[in-house]
Amino acid sequence: MSQSETIFIQHHRDEAKGLDYYLTQMSGYEAAKKALAMTPDAIIDEVKKSNLRGRGGAGFPTGVKWGFIPKQSAKPKYLVCNADESEPGTFKDRDIMRYTPHLLIEGMVIGAHAIGAHHGYIYIRGEYTREAKILNAAIDEAYAKGYLGKNILGSGFDFDLTVHRGAGAYICGEETALLNSLEGKRGEPRVKPPFPAQSGAFAGPTIVNNVETLAAIPHIVTRGGEWFSKLGKIEKSGGTRLVSVSGHVKKPGVYELPAGAMTIRQIIYDVCGGVLGDKKLKAVIPGGSSAPVLTADELDVIYDIEPLMKIGTMLGSAALMVVSEDYCTVKLIKRITKFYAHESCGQCTPCREGCKWMEDILHRIEDGHGREQDLNLLLDIADNIGGKTLCALGDAAAGPVSSFVKKFRADFEAHIRGGKCPSA
Amino acid sequence: MIEGREVEFKPGENLIEVAKRAGVEVPYFCYHPGLSVVAQCRMCAVEVGMPGKDGNIQMMPKLQTACSTPPADGMHVKTKTDRVLQNQKSVMEFLLINHPLDCPVCDKSGECDLQDNSYKHGDAHMRTTEERRTYVDLDMGPVIKKNMNRCIHCTRCIRFGDEIAGIREMVAIQRGNNTEITTIDGRDLETEYAGNYADICPTGSLTLKDFRFRKRAWMLKKTQTVCEGCARGCNIELHHESDVIYRTIPVTNMEINKHWICDEGRFNYHYVHDSARVTEPALAKSGALSMTTWKDAILSVRESLKGKKIAVLVGADMTQEEATLLLDLSKQKLGGAPVYQFGTQGVETAAADAAADALLKRKSKTANLHGLEKLGIAPFASLPAGTQAVLLVRGGRAQLPSLSGVQVYGLGVFTRDEAAKFECVLPGQAFAEKAGTIVNFQGVEQKFRRAVTPPRECKSLSETFMMWTNY
Repeated sequence: MSQSETIFIQHHRDEAKGLDYYLTQMSGYEAAKKALAMTPDAIIDEVKKSNLRGRGGAGFPTGVKWGFIPKQSAKPKYLVCNADESEPGTFKDRDIMRYTPHLLIEGMVIGAHAIGAHHGYIYIRGEYTREAKILNAAIDEAYAKGYLGKNILGSGFDFDLTVHRGAGAYICGEETALLNSLEGKRGEPRVKPPFPAQSGAFAGPTIVNNVETLAAIPHIVTRGGEWFSKLGKIEKSGGTRLVSVSGHVKKPGVYELPAGAMTIRQIIYDVCGGVLGDKKLKAVIPGGSSAPVLTADELDVIYDIEPLMKIGTMLGSAALMVVSEDYCTVKLIKRITKFYAHESCGQCTPCREGCKWMEDILHRIEDGHGREQDLNLLLDIADNIGGKTLCALGDAAAGPVSSFVKKFRADFEAHIRGGKCPSA
Repeated sequence: MIEGREVEFKPGENLIEVAKRAGVEVPYFCYHPGLSVVAQCRMCAVEVGMPGKDGNIQMMPKLQTACSTPPADGMHVKTKTDRVLQNQKSVMEFLLINHPLDCPVCDKSGECDLQDNSYKHGDAHMRTTEERRTYVDLDMGPVIKKNMNRCIHCTRCIRFGDEIAGIREMVAIQRGNNTEITTIDGRDLETEYAGNYADICPTGSLTLKDFRFRKRAWMLKKTQTVCEGCARGCNIELHHESDVIYRTIPVTNMEINKHWICDEGRFNYHYVHDSARVTEPALAKSGALSMTTWKDAILSVRESLKGKKIAVLVGADMTQEEATLLLDLSKQKLGGAPVYQFGTQGVETAAADAAADALLKRKSKTANLHGLEKLGIAPFASLPAGTQAVLLVRGGRAQLPSLSGVQVYGLGVFTRDEAAKFECVLPGQAFAEKAGTIVNFQGVEQKFRRAVTPPRECKSLSETFMMWTNY
C-alpha cells in the first residue's frame, strides 16, 4: 500500500473528540472562520472544484447539490446531516462522530453558510447512543465558544444545530423519509419531485448530506477544492473514502483510501490481510447489502463509483462485505432479503408485497422446500420491483436477489435438488 | 401527446386526468381526484418522454407514475407499451398475493377497483403458494365495517380523514408487509363523514355497515338526485331495487359537494321505508287515527274545514312546484288562507342559514328554505289570532312546529306518532318518490328525481288537490 495522504483516520482516537484536541491538532474552526468571510457562491464553487461526491450512497456531487438551493426563500432553509448510517455493513460515519465530532459540526457551519440555512439537524441512527452523547457534548462545547449560535465568530452569521435521534428504521436513511421522521411523521419516503432542495424539512428548502461528506468540507475550505480533488485517483471523484470492511477478512474495520486508488482485490488482500483462515473467497458485496454481489472472478475492478457501475453493481456507502467459500450464499441472500422485507416502509405495492414474497421463497429454498421454477420466479419478482418503486429501497432489495440467483444459481439448485443446504 | 393524440392541459392537472379526457384510461388505486397525490400503488406508471435538444423524443429510463407527473408542453406519454402493461400485471400480482378471493361474499364485488383492474390488467394465473397475510379486525363504530385482509394499503382513507374530514383518525401502523391501516388506538370513527371512507376504498376493506350483505351491487338501479338533508343540496345517487332504497352515494359536483356527502344525508333515506310512516289516508275517530279511503278522507276534510279560519304551513322540505300549488290552493280554495314555511328551529330564514361545519353541512336541515323564501313565503312564527285549523304540509324532514288549540290536518309524510293528534293524514310522497325543484343556499336550482314508487296510498300533492277539487 502506497503512503497516501489521509484526512480522517489519523484522528480516529478517543482523545480527539474534545475541543482542545480539535483546536490544537485539527482545523480548530479556522476553516469556518475562513468560510464565513467567503461568499456562499465562493464556497459552493470550491466544493464543486473538489469533486466531492456524496458519501451516503448515491454519489451525487455535493457542490452541485448545494447549488440547487434557491437564493431567496420565504420559508427557512435547513441543512440536515444524514447520520442514520443504516445500510448494513456500513460503520464509517460512526467513527467520524465518535472521534471527531467537531469536524462534522464545523462542516455543517460552513455548509449552512453556503446554502443560507440558520438551523441544522443531525439525524442520527437511534442505535448510536454513545455517538449522540458525544455529538451533544461537542455541540455544547461549540455553543460555549461561539462556534454555534448567534453571530458565529463575530461574522454575524447565526446557526443552531440540533441532534435528532432516529428510532431504528432503515428507511429513515432515505432523505425524504428522514425528513418526515424529523418532522415527527411516519418515516416514509415522499414523492419526488419536489426534491428537498425545493421543499424539504418543514417545507423549507433543505440540503441533506452524509456525515462523511460534511466532515470533508473543512478540509476543502482550508486546503482548497483542487487539493481535495487531487486526493482522488480517479476522474470525477475527489478526496479519500472511508471504506467499511467486514465479513470474512483478517483485518476488518474502517480504512481511509484515496478515491479510486485500488481494486477490490487490493483492498481485501493488501489492505485487510486477505480472507479469514486463508480460505478461498466466494463473494464480495461491494457497497452495503443493497449492492449486487460480485464473485471471486470480479475482484480486479477499481473500487469507485463508475467502475463498479460498469459491472452492474455499486459503490453505495463503500461498505465491503467479504464472504468466504464455506458460507452458504442462499442463507446470506435470505438474510439480506429478510432485512429489506422487514425494513420496507409498506407504502408502495411492489416493495411492500414483493420483498416479503422474495423472502418467503428464499426461506423455502433454504429449508429445502424450493422448486425449480422458484429461481425464475425470484428473478421475475426482482425485475418487477427494481425501478418500479417509490424510493430506492425496492432496488436495494431486488438487486441483490437477482445478482445472487444469477451468479450463484448452482448453490440454489443444490438446495432445491438436495432438499437441504449442501453444507449443512 | 398521449398515445399519439395531441391533448391540451390545464396547469395543476396530472397525466391521469389529461389522459382520461383524451379517452385513454390509465388504471390506478391510490389516486383520488379529491385527495393529495402519494404515488404509492404504482399502478398508473406510464412511459414519459420529452423532446431532447435535437428535437427527438427522449423517453425517461424509468416508468413514471401518471398521478404524480404534471403534463408539460411537448411531453409524449405512452400508456400501452409492453413495459407499462407488464408493470400493471405485476402490481396486480403483488396486490393479490395477500388479497382474499372472497369476492362472492364481498359487498364491494361488482364495483371494486381491484376486481375491475384485475380483470382488465391482471393475469388469470397465480404464482404464489405462500400463505396469505391475515389480520384481526377491529370494530370502527356504527358506520364502517373494516376487513383489513382485503386492504391494498392505498391510504385513501388516511388522506380523506386528514385532508377532507379534518380529523386524523385513520393511520398506518407497523410497516412493510405488516402495515395495518387502522384507527388511532383502535377507537371508533368520529367524523360525521365516515360513509365516504367506504366510497373511496378501492376494495372491500371499508364497507358500510348499513349496506352490508343487503344487495349485490350489480342488482341495484341507480337514480341521480339531490340530498334533502340540508340547504346544500349535495348531489347523490340513490341505489334501489324493486322500490326499495338500499343506499345513497355521493355524485361529484365540484361546485356543491365535490366528491363527498355527510352521514346524516347518506342515511336520511331510511325514513322513506319506515314502518311507522302513515301510508294510507286516515281520519281521527274517537281520539285515534283510523284508515279510510281517499274519497272519504277528502270529503271529510273539505267538509270539516268549511267556514273555519285556516292557516297553511308548508315545510321547507317541499319543492318549488309543490309550494306554488299550495299558494294557488290557499288562494282559490281556502279563502286566501295565509301560508307560512317551517323547517329547522332557529333557522327560519335564509339569512339565518350558515355553514354548520367546515365541510358541507348547513344549519338549515331542509333542502328548500332558500327556494320557499324566493317564492315569498314568510317564516312561521305564530298563528294569526282566531285560527281554528291548520293545513300542515310536509315532505318528511322539516321539524314540526308545536301547535296547540287548533285542529291540524296533515298532508304529506308523517309517522304515526307525529300524526297522533291530527284530524287527518293525507299521505304524500318523500323526496325519493317524487320529482321537483329545490334551491340550495347558493341559489342553484336542482331537481329531485323519482327513484322509487310511493308506497301504498301515498299520492303526490297535485293528485291530492285534483281530488280535493273534483270529488
